[in-house]
Amino acid sequence: MTAVVVVVAIVVAVATYLTWLARRLDRLGVRVDAARGGLVAQLGARAEAAAALGASRGLVQLAAAAERSLAGHAAPRAGAPLDTAVEETENELSRALRAPEVATAGQGAPALLHAVDSASAKVALARQLHNDAVRDLRALRGRRPVRLLRLSGRRPLPAYFEIDDALPARVERRETGGPGPGAPVPSAPAGAGAGPPLGQEVRDRVPGPAGAPDDMPDVLPKTGS
Amino acid sequence: MRIGLACPYTWDVPGGVQAHVRDLAEVLIAAGHEVSVITPADDSDALPPYAVDAGRALPVPYNGSVARLLMGPVSAARVRRWLREHGFDVLHVHEPTAPSVGLLACMLADGPIVGTFHTANPRSKILTAAQGALQPSLEKLRARIAVSEAARRTIVEHLGTSAVLIPNGVSVAAFAGARPLPGYEVPPAAKGGPGRHTVCFLGRIDEPRKGLDVLLAALPDLARRVPDVRVLVAGPGDAAAVRSRLDPRLRGRVELLGLVSEEDKARVFASGDVYCAPNTGQESFGIVLLEAMAAGTPVMASDIDAFRRVLDDGRAGRLFEAGEPARLAAGLADLLLDEAARAELAASGKALVASYDWPVIAEEIVDIYRLVSAGAGPVSLASSGADG
Repeated sequence: MTAVVVVVAIVVAVATYLTWLARRLDRLGVRVDAARGGLVAQLGARAEAAAALGASRGLVQLAAAAERSLAGHAAPRAGAPLDTAVEETENELSRALRAPEVATAGQGAPALLHAVDSASAKVALARQLHNDAVRDLRALRGRRPVRLLRLSGRRPLPAYFEIDDALPARVERRETGGPGPGAPVPSAPAGAGAGPPLGQEVRDRVPGPAGAPDDMPDVLPKTGS
Repeated sequence: MRIGLACPYTWDVPGGVQAHVRDLAEVLIAAGHEVSVITPADDSDALPPYAVDAGRALPVPYNGSVARLLMGPVSAARVRRWLREHGFDVLHVHEPTAPSVGLLACMLADGPIVGTFHTANPRSKILTAAQGALQPSLEKLRARIAVSEAARRTIVEHLGTSAVLIPNGVSVAAFAGARPLPGYEVPPAAKGGPGRHTVCFLGRIDEPRKGLDVLLAALPDLARRVPDVRVLVAGPGDAAAVRSRLDPRLRGRVELLGLVSEEDKARVFASGDVYCAPNTGQESFGIVLLEAMAAGTPVMASDIDAFRRVLDDGRAGRLFEAGEPARLAAGLADLLLDEAARAELAASGKALVASYDWPVIAEEIVDIYRLVSAGAGPVSLASSGADG
């Protein structure tokens, strides 16, 4: 009799635990999807802003990069993964936006230039939220009970989205060396920054999956443990 | 937007997190958003109309001081009802690692949730130990905000996640244009000419890390260089003890105001020719420096990490070697005797603080709200209330 009670108790406990894990997985899946949708929307907004600036100031290369970026968004909008092809097109657009002639020509259309810079900052933000969500989901998917019991079914492991979204040097940062997308200072004179792009510095400072092995759920080093 | 803010600490007790939540709520309301705050409170009648009482918080010794925390069935029921009644577009929980209303709301809700981390605690064993228990709640946060670089580093190291840096805001308008205190007005005609030079200080006077002792140790040397200098000190603490440590010949130069109100704080800045922040450490963010800049008072601060960041490496205010009275005396004398340099610093300070003005900061936070709530439904109750 007691044996039956113990067995039933164990079964109930295990079932509760697994249900709870499955619910966490579901919730994280919803979060990853939402973050991905937000990221695709922000990439679209950036490409449109870039296209508008390119068309208005006759910046042929920028306009072309923006067109390629917009064309590349059709598949992800329909649910296709944000793959390396998308990453490459977006990197091209980032580079085109940092070209010195964009800052120069942008002085003639400060509102359009500001729109592009603010859309670029939001892309960086959306990408960070997306990769944070992916990291949390991958961490849970890497847990032993989830893997052994295939609690996440056949769903593919979501991938990080890695692009160079460093903001042009003309976008001033509030704190020296601060990470994150930063805020464009409203009074910043367009094209004032002549220094190199902040790419490397930002990459070094933003904690994230950059450079982490793909199959490692725990991508950040734990210190102090 | 319908926005719910969950504040972890007792509303009636002064504190940085409470002030942040209050300022954010009021700026969001002024911008036309629908905002409700849930918070522990000692006196629910004293709450502003936009705040809801979550119950009385329990004082618990934590991390060397007394934290007032709240987690129990009564407050859980109140948080649940608050979530159900409002149907927020976004829920913004503050300090979700503290066992209080922020974490509770995070556990009970589902949907677009944003969390702001305030604490900077480089070696918190508690946080490291609690990471596993917190993870199910923290993984619900669709965006994480840290209010300082130190706070960001803390959650990167202890919770293995990243965060967007959005600093505390400053209500620039509340500090700009304050009148000097009686006895500290300088008639415009006398400006630039010989007059009395005032250095002001704000902070607990018996807390060594706030550095009043460094400033007072610099005073003899400073008085030799600037014969008409005086020091205006605002902040709580044992004034008699501070006065008794002062050289009797210098006592007349130091005025101790004790604890001052928010309005008088602005007037203290307005009374100083220079604001001095001689802190020796333990500051994660120099909000008080920004307040001085908003008041148009040039800043002389120790070169601790947080201050160096806020002052843009010395471009928006002068820095001196922390804990070195001789350096402080020399730096203050240079600044007090150089009207042009002070005007220049005041101008660059004003320009810098504009990017920390609450409406600007709130707009950045709203950008995050929009990002996480686009396409998502309203915040709902988690399917089973008890779990994370």
